[in-house]
Amino acid sequence: MAIPETANSKSFGEKLLSVPRWVLFLVLFFMASWPLFKPVPIPNQPSDSSADLFRELMQLPEGSTVIIQSDWTNSTRGESRGQFDALLRILMRRNIKFGLMAVADTQAPEVARDVIELINLERRQASPPQREYKRWEDWVNLGYFPNAEGTGNQLAQSLRDTFGNRRDKDPSGSEQRVLESPVFQGIDDVGKLSAFIVVTGTKSIVIAIERLQAKVKILGMVTGVMGPETLNYYVSGQLKGLSAGLKGVYDMETMMDKGVNVPGPDGKPVYTTQKFNEPIQGFSGEKNLDKGTRYIFTLHMAILLLILVVVIGNVGVILTRTKVKA
Amino acid sequence: MIGLDFLAQSNSEFWSKASGSGTLLGFVIGTMILGFLILFALLQTPAQSRRKVVWFFTFFSGLFYVLLWLWPAPHDRAEGDASKGFSEHVSFFLQDSTNIFGGLSNILTAMLLLLGVFSLIRVHLVKLAKQQKDWVFSVVLLVSLFSIAIVGYNGWLTELRMEPAELERIGQLSPNDWPTYKKAQDFMFDGLLQAMDAAMFSIIAFYILSAAYRAFRIRSVEATILLASALLVMLSLLGLAELYWNDAIKSISGGNDASFVNNFKLTEIASFIRRSFQVPGLRAIDFGIGIGALAMGLRLWLGLERSGGSN
Repeated sequence: MAIPETANSKSFGEKLLSVPRWVLFLVLFFMASWPLFKPVPIPNQPSDSSADLFRELMQLPEGSTVIIQSDWTNSTRGESRGQFDALLRILMRRNIKFGLMAVADTQAPEVARDVIELINLERRQASPPQREYKRWEDWVNLGYFPNAEGTGNQLAQSLRDTFGNRRDKDPSGSEQRVLESPVFQGIDDVGKLSAFIVVTGTKSIVIAIERLQAKVKILGMVTGVMGPETLNYYVSGQLKGLSAGLKGVYDMETMMDKGVNVPGPDGKPVYTTQKFNEPIQGFSGEKNLDKGTRYIFTLHMAILLLILVVVIGNVGVILTRTKVKA
Repeated sequence: MIGLDFLAQSNSEFWSKASGSGTLLGFVIGTMILGFLILFALLQTPAQSRRKVVWFFTFFSGLFYVLLWLWPAPHDRAEGDASKGFSEHVSFFLQDSTNIFGGLSNILTAMLLLLGVFSLIRVHLVKLAKQQKDWVFSVVLLVSLFSIAIVGYNGWLTELRMEPAELERIGQLSPNDWPTYKKAQDFMFDGLLQAMDAAMFSIIAFYILSAAYRAFRIRSVEATILLASALLVMLSLLGLAELYWNDAIKSISGGNDASFVNNFKLTEIASFIRRSFQVPGLRAIDFGIGIGALAMGLRLWLGLERSGGSN
């Protein structure tokens, strides 16, 4: 009669190959959770694409207008929310007006409006209080466009026709055509925008690049999943700056805090880039470090665990194979 | 060419009536009735003929975008410029019509969303009526769907009727002091929908970990190369790993920036993998997808694709 195999009869290699799923899940839960309660400062070297994005945003003419295509919802909040926060802080501090539109998700405009409200609350509560970014005067809601391709073609041909029928509330509360708002004064073509910025976890950025990059400077803030594909367009020069994933958020926050190529207290630049030499000042003394800084150690823990389990699994395979051969 | 001008709506006031006027309302209602009649007529048409109608509209729409892409575009066209000759007339028409076609594509996509909602409601009402397996979940879905729609519509309507000063005052309030309609909206959208959305996606992390443990094995040379590249790129995302690795390389090179060893810094290796393998690889995949989409698009456009469109 065969003796039933028990867990104890397993070799070390076999044990490494049969770690129960619940153990993995539990370890991930704790490793990903505890850094949220006790953030750990992590050294950082901003990537070239993030540095380019930061430089482009910091060099937008004050008072000019950009369009933000916000195509993210809370499914990618971990990355996109931090990117959107950083973007809004930079634009608002530099008095850049913006039109807000979405093409990828019906929830996206509401999510974006909520974040604008929260950043405005942060500005009101700052010490000293900062000017609130007013709807209609400083930004307008262009709304949701269900068809990204058609809208991109429209925009490339005529900004005035694309947004001609869109309305938003003016200070008197009545709905007026967005093109009559101070945001779009003097803007009758997409080429007159200082930038077209896409914050997304989808392919909508590629659709925008295909149709608009010949006319307007496109900047991107995408999730880690979309990063590799979007990097194509940054490398080719069709995208002037790119922040990808949580690392991109952390890059933006650290550059907002310390600038790029800006000498620190010891005279050496805190963050440098090989892409350009000119110093770009950040916003020292303001709230810059936020979600990227809080989440980056969690990402470290998750990636470390991922590497660890891959190594454990493969060591198990090697040990088992060696045993079989022996 | 008058017909083309009319279709492109250039200088035509046929489609634009005064806001809030009875004429506009009449046109809206009339167009809706006409639309439904066309839809009804289409539904009564035999499948073979229907296919021809669908193909005609597909070809016409596709032809527009093909021409828009291929036909020389007007250069430095100013407002009020008159076209000269056939070529320029067509190019003006194409440019003027882009807005109409873009608008139509948005309306059609929005209709698809509506169709999706309609289909969802129908499927779950049937399931509920017949008390099929897991019908309780259908109740949850329908209640959630209608609740969020009603709460959202109520919020929009309430704010629409509000005085600007009142709206401004509410905008300044902290969430605890919000009026009921805004609290309800916030609870439904941020409290439930968005939180569940985020929770659902965060679960993916657990599956990725489990899948990486069980599937990411060095079974062949290719798999080993893939694994090594992945580990290096993942390590490059870790600031701490990057710092210690690069410091180690720096100490080996003795701080000499011209040393060959500097090529083995983690940032350099990851950058090399990304730019030399990942980007060209993805570009090749995208190129293949593009050719496939072009071939499929041509088949659909020319009516060669026979699948779909049946009764």
